[in-house]
Amino acid sequence: MSLHRFAFRAMAAVNEVQVHAADRGAAAAMAAPAIAEVRRIEEKYSRYRPESVVSRINAQAGGAPVAIDEETAGLLDFADACWRQSAGLFDATSGVLRRAWRFEPGSAVPSREALEALLPRIGWQRVERTREAVRLPLAGMELDFGGFGKEYAVDRAALALREAGAESALVNLAGDLAILGPQPDGTPWNVGIRHPRVENVAIATLPVASGAIATSGDYERYLEVDGVRHCHVLDPRTGRSARGFRSVTVHAQTCIVAGSASTIAMLMGRDAGLEWLDGLAVAHFCVLEDGAIIDRFPATVS
Amino acid sequence: MIRAIAGAVLVAGACCACTPVAPYQRGYLARPDMALAPDTGTAKALEKTYSAKEAASGGASVGGGGCGCN
Amino acid sequence: MAATEDREAPAPRARGGALAALTQAALALPILAIAARAGAAQVGEVGIAVLGYKERGLIKVTEPVIWANAQIAEVWEVQASAAIDIITGASPQLVTNLSGKPVQAVTGASINDRRNTGDLHVTRHFGDFALSGSYTESNEEDYHSRAYGVEGRWDLDHKLTTIAAGYGRSNDRVGSSIDQTLNAPRHTDEYMLGVTRILTPLSLVQSTVAIARGRGWYNDPYKLTLTFYPDQILPILLADRRPDHRDTLSWLTRYRRHFPGANATLQADYRYYRDDWGIRAHTLEVAWQQDLGDRWSVRPALRYYTQSAADFYSPTIPRPQPEIVSSDQRLAAFGGLSPSLRLTYRFAGGTVIEGTAGYVHDARSLRFGGGGSEAYTTLRAVFGLVSVSRPF
Repeated sequence: MSLHRFAFRAMAAVNEVQVHAADRGAAAAMAAPAIAEVRRIEEKYSRYRPESVVSRINAQAGGAPVAIDEETAGLLDFADACWRQSAGLFDATSGVLRRAWRFEPGSAVPSREALEALLPRIGWQRVERTREAVRLPLAGMELDFGGFGKEYAVDRAALALREAGAESALVNLAGDLAILGPQPDGTPWNVGIRHPRVENVAIATLPVASGAIATSGDYERYLEVDGVRHCHVLDPRTGRSARGFRSVTVHAQTCIVAGSASTIAMLMGRDAGLEWLDGLAVAHFCVLEDGAIIDRFPATVS
Repeated sequence: MIRAIAGAVLVAGACCACTPVAPYQRGYLARPDMALAPDTGTAKALEKTYSAKEAASGGASVGGGGCGCN
Repeated sequence: MAATEDREAPAPRARGGALAALTQAALALPILAIAARAGAAQVGEVGIAVLGYKERGLIKVTEPVIWANAQIAEVWEVQASAAIDIITGASPQLVTNLSGKPVQAVTGASINDRRNTGDLHVTRHFGDFALSGSYTESNEEDYHSRAYGVEGRWDLDHKLTTIAAGYGRSNDRVGSSIDQTLNAPRHTDEYMLGVTRILTPLSLVQSTVAIARGRGWYNDPYKLTLTFYPDQILPILLADRRPDHRDTLSWLTRYRRHFPGANATLQADYRYYRDDWGIRAHTLEVAWQQDLGDRWSVRPALRYYTQSAADFYSPTIPRPQPEIVSSDQRLAAFGGLSPSLRLTYRFAGGTVIEGTAGYVHDARSLRFGGGGSEAYTTLRAVFGLVSVSRPF
């Protein structure tokens, strides 16, 4: 048994599947369906592809309902659960705000007017949906699965690995990952948490035997103006950047729940977010705005 | 990103108070050969082969009881 | 078609239900829920072992051991073990100077002893604090011991430092197979304080001090001293007599350092011991655990021991005859070296087989700084241990 790694590009990032198997051929046989599943989800739900389900729904905003399948209905139900549990902070229609924000060096923070112009087009509660169809009632409204699409792909890829017979394997999509089980000798995998301010350096390495890990951070896409950082995690009520955390990492049974929990914590801000994570009783690791670390992963040293 | 721990950051002349250790870099510390209290039955049995012939005993835990080693 | 909600935003749900609500929605999707385990993967372990020990010309011990430990409901840990010592052979009972110099003599019938021991250890975690309780029992024909212990551990400073404090109590009853009327009690109170500190991501150190106060019967019912004097025809035969109290201090420091480049770990333990019988002892054990590939590891180790004699140790009975005197050479001044080698094989499923072989050489000449007791008879022993354990 040895460890085999398969890197692949998808969702605008370099991703990886790692599998313990007798030889590379056996490992590839397990990794291939997982990688294929990631590509399938990207094609189906990426807003950057005009034929994707999301793009078709958005194109019909203000028009006729669009027929959806079981998978899409399930994802919309999940987005609804996130909206309810976050008191409306997690809103799958807040993607329109990217029209105001340019996360490139030299760009300016959008003005209050620019943001207020977009706010009327946000509002999950206005989305009309059944299990067969969905409709955005206002032209210019948009659905964006960016808040959970990658994490869902991780979970689907993990399922593909499990169904292909993998027991000691992981799938990692640019930092959101699922681990099927410990390494063959029983030791956990070492998961490095990206340092929110230093490239290519881990701020922490956590031993994880199984489960999913997702991280929300203010370093993926951001703008720094006058010493203040604005990141791509935006509050749907104001259009402004979330404050209080540099990053939030959550360990849960599924990546989709870990991802939404970390995003919701970031949106809630420091005090409410930490309280929310404590209430969830999931293992978590946060770096606060001032650099302080909140480590709620179980101790491993006896 | 998954990163194997490449190496430790050691401060020259490190003393107990001035550790540079991030408390969450625990991968190596969790290894079984880094364990401090081998509490298993075999550790106790091995310890007894020595303590039955020596005057010194104890130090690791309390309430271990005596032995009528003659 | 109905809209989701008429209100702007939903009221926040009870926090306890949030994870359940999200998980329920997630599991309606065609995905997998994997148990979220951080740190150690295993929940528990069971194992069996057999230890064999043989002293040259003296006793032979065979000891089967079983043990198990398990984590229950994330906050409980239970450990239990049991062992049977089967002791056969001869034990030195007499120190006599008939030949001119005092020597240990093996007399009498051979021994056939059996000792049963068992222990149970329960720990409850409360966040950064853990509370443990333990019970140990040891029984043989001429000795019974029941001991209780309680220990608290506190994790401080982001778990970089751990403080442990404990109290233990042993209640022993000493008997004798040659004197049925003997049924003497002995009680020991033990207090312990320890600190564990992570030094670097690759190393840690632990230092623990234990102080014990014992009261009761310490005499060895089988040991005798027979001393001839040049100006007396009849020798004096005296049974082992020791104080009725024993206060001890034991200070144990352990260091572990991993070398990732070499795939190996250095383990070093040092213990300082002193008691009010006048004994001072040092123990130093250094081991190198070397991984050889994925499955094998080897651990050579060397243990050095040195002790001074008890105040009342004497291989001959002094004149005038003192209240307390013992010729038991375990109270003499001597040193010992014990090399050992352990080989470990780890199967893919997690089962571990381990074999340890060691040699013990205790001699007067090995005492640190010289001054070993003249009458000390060199002890040569070999031991072997084979164990199989399985995590679950």
